Amino acid sequence: MTRAAIIVCWVMAIGLALFLIIPLLVIAAASFSPTPVFDLPLTGASTRWYGRIGRLDGFWPSLLLSLQIALLSTVISLVCGTLAAIAIARGKLPGAGIFATALVSPLMMPGLVLGIALLQGFRAVGFTAPWATLLVAHLVITLPYVARTMISGLARFDFTLIEAARTLGCSYPGSVLRVMVPALAPSFLIAGIFSFLASFDNYPVSIFLADVRTKTLPIRMLQYIEEAPDPTLAALSTLILAGTVILLFVSDRVVGLHRMAGTSD
Amino acid sequence: MSESSPHLVVRGVSKRYGPTTVLDHIDLTIRRGELVTLLGPSGCGKTTLLRAIAGLAQPDTGKVELAGRDITHVPPHKRNVGVVFQSYALFPHLTVAGNVAFGLKVRGMARREIDVAVDRALSLVKLGHLASRRISALSGGQQQRVALARAIAVEPDVLLFDEALSALDRKLREEMQVELRRLLQEVKATAIFVTHDQDEALTMSDRVAVMNKGRIEQLAEPRELYLRPASLFALNFVGLSTRISGTVLSADNGKVDVETKVGRLSALGNFQAGSPVIVAARPEQLRIGGEDETNSASGRVRSVVFQGSRTLVEVDAGAGESLLAELSGRDGAIPGVHDEIRLSWPVAETFAFPMEAQA
Ligand SMILES: Nc1ncnc2c1ncn2[C@@H]1O[C@H](COP(=O)(O)OP(=O)(O)OP(=O)(O)O)[C@@H](O)[C@H]1O
Ligand SMILES: [Mg+2]
Repeated sequence: MTRAAIIVCWVMAIGLALFLIIPLLVIAAASFSPTPVFDLPLTGASTRWYGRIGRLDGFWPSLLLSLQIALLSTVISLVCGTLAAIAIARGKLPGAGIFATALVSPLMMPGLVLGIALLQGFRAVGFTAPWATLLVAHLVITLPYVARTMISGLARFDFTLIEAARTLGCSYPGSVLRVMVPALAPSFLIAGIFSFLASFDNYPVSIFLADVRTKTLPIRMLQYIEEAPDPTLAALSTLILAGTVILLFVSDRVVGLHRMAGTSD
Repeated sequence: MSESSPHLVVRGVSKRYGPTTVLDHIDLTIRRGELVTLLGPSGCGKTTLLRAIAGLAQPDTGKVELAGRDITHVPPHKRNVGVVFQSYALFPHLTVAGNVAFGLKVRGMARREIDVAVDRALSLVKLGHLASRRISALSGGQQQRVALARAIAVEPDVLLFDEALSALDRKLREEMQVELRRLLQEVKATAIFVTHDQDEALTMSDRVAVMNKGRIEQLAEPRELYLRPASLFALNFVGLSTRISGTVLSADNGKVDVETKVGRLSALGNFQAGSPVIVAARPEQLRIGGEDETNSASGRVRSVVFQGSRTLVEVDAGAGESLLAELSGRDGAIPGVHDEIRLSWPVAETFAFPMEAQA
């Protein structure tokens, strides 16, 4: 490559990284703003907006709802998605490829379409309980993440390991627990994290299924921004951001992000 | 239990997958401390037989007994067999020592005893210095040794090797053959090797079972297998041979005279006059020159292949038949290509096999 081309690529890489990170830095900075209107240059720092998060109207129920739905849908998806992935990767299922595509297809569908489709579908069968419809809808969101990750994880898993464990004195369920689960731990973790995050910040699907008393956190946040755009929201966003970073950092310590991203073994 | 009493008994074991019979009434008895090889072409059922013994495949009929216990319906984890898989099947999330300790931990052995047993197993395979390595940081040969150490650490009643050496390169494989045999004799293991490499079978084992299409064609010591093959298949599969087809002229007391396209030959075998047969002899039995009371045939030398201590001479005997002679360096003159020569070999080393059994 010529020198010029290398420089262009470098500029691109650095520029894009800044482009992605700067908004996050701005919102973090804004959350410490001493004044209700965020202005540069900063004239000091204050944490008072953080104190006000908890006093936002309907914040705690929404946070609880979002955490509940995200955790539950992730756990259910991990169990069901892994079983489905085993059938596809291992079970000699006729037409396994079609099922695999079907399982991951919601990933490629616009959230709005998915939301409308689910709303209409649930109405058609008379399924209208808000909390339950939200959970089922979020299963549709999270299952593809789990299925995709587990299918590729299982494709690389050597099932002879289970037979080896059995001949070494381990029962079949014991072998799955002692050998398959640890070997697939990185896949479980990455599937779990992405599925949790996908559910936790979903807006386009949830908006169709929420009602006045059942609002997820993203819906509630959009409502706050319309009502009173002060740095409280920036503080909340910064907390969510920090939580995500800690989650990824801890997972990296546990299994290694490079293994999670599938860029190396 | 005495040294010669049966230790592993496979009796009438059959296994079908859909329409194909993979194991066809297998009978196999192995004594304590014996090293037996299952030798046969791809797809003849070697792995399936091994899996039936390990409990990983359930036979349709028949029984398996190990150390005086009927284990036909015992699940694999209660059989106390050790298996070394072709892919080694080492646990990637554990270290070398963790892999070797796995079976002992599962058995609920005390921490200190495990450490001692792991050290012992690893030093047997000369890997003591790598105990804390990750599996992915080992060479193929080292992984093979870890798999072996893991299998012997639990002191199984029988060790099963499914083409355990085939992933190694030739030189390492030959070293491991010798080392493995020494090691197994040292720990007095009873073992079954699966291989389709005849040299490995002859080097490693006390007895060799030649398998073909789900049946054991012959179970014999390596020497007997080579010198007295029980079937045309066994003859073909182990070692080289000269084979000539013909028709039995007369039979007499375990000996037959056979009319062939290269002349009249005598061979050992029991046949009725008129039966179509194949007459065979090992190449080292053939000598240059014609002698009385021997079989002989002549022809033109087609090729001469020098192989160090021996030279293989292939002779075109006409009518589509060829003779293969192995001449040692001490046999004097080696003929050249296109020479007309006569080869002779003893009747006592000539065998007749039924034609239709040709593999
Ligand atoms: N689970 C199975 N389902 C269907 N057919 C099978 C199964 N396992 C083995 N077979 C068939 O049984 C036959 C014997 O297989 P096996 O693996 O025992 O052969 P092998 O002697 O070990 O061959 P190789 O030397 O190639 O390993 C083959 O034709 C194979 O296709
Ligand atoms: Mg095999």
